[in-house]
Amino acid sequence: MDQLLLVLVSGLASGAVYGLMGLGLVIIYRATDVVNFALASLATIGLYAALALYDSGLPLLLAAVAAIVVTTAVGLAARETVIRPLAQGELLSALVMTMGLSLIAESVISTIWDDRPRLFPSLVEGSVAIGSSAIPAQSLLTLAVAAVAMALVAYLFGRTTIGSAMRAVAESAETARILGLGSQRIARIAWALGLGLAVLAAVLYAPRAGLVPTVLSAPLFRAFAGIFLGGLTSMYGAVIGGLTVGVLDNLAASYVSAGYRDTFVFSFTILVLLIRPQGLFGVRTFQRV
Amino acid sequence: MSVISRSTLARAALGPLAAAALIAVLNSGAIPPYQAYSVGLAAVYTVLVLSVGLLAGWAGIWSIAHPAFFALGAYFAAYGSGHGWSVEAVVLGAVGCSAALGAFLGSAGARFSMLYVALLTLAFTMVSLEVMGQWTSVTGGDQGIPLTKLHSALGLGTLASAGTEAQYIAVGVAGIALAVAALARPGALRMRLVAAKSHPMAARSIGIAPEAQSALAFAVSAVFAALAGVLLALVVGFVSPEPFSLTLAISLIAACVLGGAGTLLGAVVGGAYLTWVPTAAESAGLPQPILQGVVLIAALLFLPGGVVPTAGRLARRLRRRPTRPTPTAVELTADAVEPVPAPAATAPELLRLDDVAVTFGGLKALEGASMSVRTGETVAIIGPNGAGKTTLLNALSGLVAEGRVAGGADYHGKPLLKTRATARRRLGIGRTFQHAETFPELTVLENVLCTRRRITAEHRAAATELLEGVGLAHVADRYPAELPFGLHKRLDLARALAEEPELLILDEPFGGLDATERTLLARQIVRQQERGTAVVIIDHVLDDLFAVAHRVVAFDFGRPIGEGEPGKILDDPRVRSSYLGEGSTRDDLPPRDGTERATVRLDGVGHSYSGVTALHDVDLTVPQGSVIGVVGANGAGKSTLGRILHGTLPPTLGRRTAADGLRSALVPEGRALFKTLSLRENLEVAAYAADIKGAELRARLAQTVEWLPPRLRERMGVPAAGLSGGEQQILAIARALMARPDLIIVDEPALGLSPAMVDEVYARLGRLAHEGLTVVLLEQSLGRAAAACHEVVVLHEGGIAVRGEPADPVFLDRAEQAYFDGQDDASAPVAQA
Repeated sequence: MDQLLLVLVSGLASGAVYGLMGLGLVIIYRATDVVNFALASLATIGLYAALALYDSGLPLLLAAVAAIVVTTAVGLAARETVIRPLAQGELLSALVMTMGLSLIAESVISTIWDDRPRLFPSLVEGSVAIGSSAIPAQSLLTLAVAAVAMALVAYLFGRTTIGSAMRAVAESAETARILGLGSQRIARIAWALGLGLAVLAAVLYAPRAGLVPTVLSAPLFRAFAGIFLGGLTSMYGAVIGGLTVGVLDNLAASYVSAGYRDTFVFSFTILVLLIRPQGLFGVRTFQRV
Repeated sequence: MSVISRSTLARAALGPLAAAALIAVLNSGAIPPYQAYSVGLAAVYTVLVLSVGLLAGWAGIWSIAHPAFFALGAYFAAYGSGHGWSVEAVVLGAVGCSAALGAFLGSAGARFSMLYVALLTLAFTMVSLEVMGQWTSVTGGDQGIPLTKLHSALGLGTLASAGTEAQYIAVGVAGIALAVAALARPGALRMRLVAAKSHPMAARSIGIAPEAQSALAFAVSAVFAALAGVLLALVVGFVSPEPFSLTLAISLIAACVLGGAGTLLGAVVGGAYLTWVPTAAESAGLPQPILQGVVLIAALLFLPGGVVPTAGRLARRLRRRPTRPTPTAVELTADAVEPVPAPAATAPELLRLDDVAVTFGGLKALEGASMSVRTGETVAIIGPNGAGKTTLLNALSGLVAEGRVAGGADYHGKPLLKTRATARRRLGIGRTFQHAETFPELTVLENVLCTRRRITAEHRAAATELLEGVGLAHVADRYPAELPFGLHKRLDLARALAEEPELLILDEPFGGLDATERTLLARQIVRQQERGTAVVIIDHVLDDLFAVAHRVVAFDFGRPIGEGEPGKILDDPRVRSSYLGEGSTRDDLPPRDGTERATVRLDGVGHSYSGVTALHDVDLTVPQGSVIGVVGANGAGKSTLGRILHGTLPPTLGRRTAADGLRSALVPEGRALFKTLSLRENLEVAAYAADIKGAELRARLAQTVEWLPPRLRERMGVPAAGLSGGEQQILAIARALMARPDLIIVDEPALGLSPAMVDEVYARLGRLAHEGLTVVLLEQSLGRAAAACHEVVVLHEGGIAVRGEPADPVFLDRAEQAYFDGQDDASAPVAQA
């Protein structure tokens, strides 16, 4: 029983990371029609920059903020130079473009730093005793930070005018244009927000996984599985899908086979999609292939 | 009777010939062993890139699963060599497994959009990587397994790996694979794949099922990838999970994008690129992924379509200079067309509809549609925008996607509505589309040929004859994009006629055509009447319709409202008023004295969308404080004029002059609210877009909320989707008001509303005029516009037919005449607007 509790908590903590990354992907996708494959490697650039600053004496919290700034700056610059020249609605070209960006970003990281695994410091140490089980404090912190971030995103989209404007552009870019809503500005805000969430996820994930240039590729794929499970355009779906994938992933690793955790997660996702192609929270609009 | 042309055979022979030459060079020892190994590897990658690129280019499926199929072939070979399997068994096993898995992925993927296919295939590769790593008894895990040799069960000797022999075989197989692809290129399979990819709906209308096509395409592609895997194991002599990573998937996509997806030469370029990119990176002093990323991004930005197609375009441009003038078809004289007399009342009934209804969600687009069509009869269906005409055609051809169809339809004694869309073509039903939905990646001839599952020489002859008949023979080898709109529509018609249908369905065939084209089309329709084909047409160009129709059925609000002969149908008051609206009492309008300054002025404005003229020679002044009505049938150019007045659409001809600091707002047709946003959010977003913020926004919001009727005011927090049509229209007007406009342009505010709601919306617009706002109303109904406007302009086919003040009863008669035929027969000059 204690074992199960531990697996569940650590599953939820992983899921919170996937959920945050998924949220970032969905926010960018809805506002700009770009599936950002480079999200993970751009966030990794931020992590390495933060580690360098931390090593030179900056407090970890400030280093994490610096990571967000660095990633957002690099990401926005990349968007302006290579994504924006593409015509609107070029879904595939944009996706492939971000794949290219991701290749370059990862390679730049291993050139500037190197491929050796490094330790990434965590904000909290130790564990908290709940009943007879000791839950790692890092897991609880991950859950708490993710919950706060998701609540802020919900507030932004649900209660502010800029959030309404972002949802408006996502629903119909054409109508937004007739109203005179500047879609480039909304697109930049969406990219910054999405990348920021990804860096947050990365800072929470890296202490557990250790830092290598490809540290975030596994969470990225699971975040993808999560957002497809959730319905691709739903922000709630991204979070719930991410949490589901996280719990399944940890359950599979502990009770089925550690070696086949992706097989388990992806088979489950594909099965759900075969039964319900629009995902758990998606709207049936993409059926026209 | 050979189906394959000589040029195709010659092209197909190029691959094997090049392979033979390459083997000869390798055999001569002119190439050092390491380079020879690279050549073998390049051959392997050529086959792999071919499998990915043709799937992407022909079927439109971008697969990330191909590293897994590549691995499948390689492990089959390696495991087989360790367990005494023969070459034949290895190949058969790899082919069988990959075909089955590929067909599964293809059919599952057809249900999804491109992004879901990406996830599905990504999952496949991720799972395969885990299996390779974990199933050590078969794969050897990370250590991998060697392949030493494979013997032949047919007694063809033994094949040693990792040597010259293996390299020759790889090069030979690559040559054969290219030949197979070259032979398939002009075939029906590719045409149908491309058709299903580029236009699934039009493809269904000619009997192509996109699901089956994508399963078949994926299976074939997976087989090629698996064969490439067998070759890889042979050339390298050793198999481990390392080459089959996700990076390979990205590299493969990069290679396809670079070479040009869907081209054979592009696959060779891509294969060479994959083989030599490590060497190139090393000599450039760059890490390999950076070089790959830069090449990928540069290719997407500067060579859309890839190296080979770009080079091809350049070469063609050089060769075609001076440009070959478009050969003109033998133009037929544009005499008046006499339709074949209507079939006798005893002629057999071909189609009978009983109470057909179509609903989309809660919306009834069509109900109570009962009618019949006899063999050889031409039935025209008319009605204002939103009457359900297109829905009826789509129900007949099975293309209502998400709609629910009820009722019965009997076609030749078969229940039509229960027949799959793709099977209706075989029943002898052909259709055209409003916007001439041709397949852009197929030539004109191929657009017609792809209706056949297998193409025989007879089919080719018939297709050529058909193109001659509709006047397209001179452009048979051109692509649709190179044709003017009129020829585009001819092609759509030719495709519908390709299998000599018994029932021909035409969706607005006259729309966008000039007078000569329209006469030619009428002649085509008459020719079908002579053949005994039944024809169902909808259109807004009533004159042309009435010239060919035997019978007319009028629709309004989704149901039939009248039926009669072409000459008499408009005498039916119900039919007439469905277009013109009821003449109601004139609203009270603010007085004008003629000294008002102009808010917007158009001088000689015209507009065309990719060559199709929507608007021409429009001079129009909108005086401040006026209500101006722009009236015309659907397709007359109202929305285009509205967007030009608004300023969001720059006209292609002429000039728009607006008063200094003019703020204009547009309420688009169909409201275009943000349905997932609440009422308040809809209003806030509009203010945000107009740069109104903070306290000003709150004040403006309070003011606008005050303007709303109470039943909306109480529901500011609910999503706009929950409102009725009329409430949505009022909210859409309120949203436009948030930006404090001086001029508000309202496009078809009455569309889909009940009469009581129409009155309320109009009353509100009238009150806005009293408050000093300038209003432009785009209206289908002349009666409504006449009651609500100071001035009415009648548009007919993109030009102003007549204009005047509805207070003048003579003007109303002239406007009514002009509405239907564009003729203004009054000799008296009209007051200039």
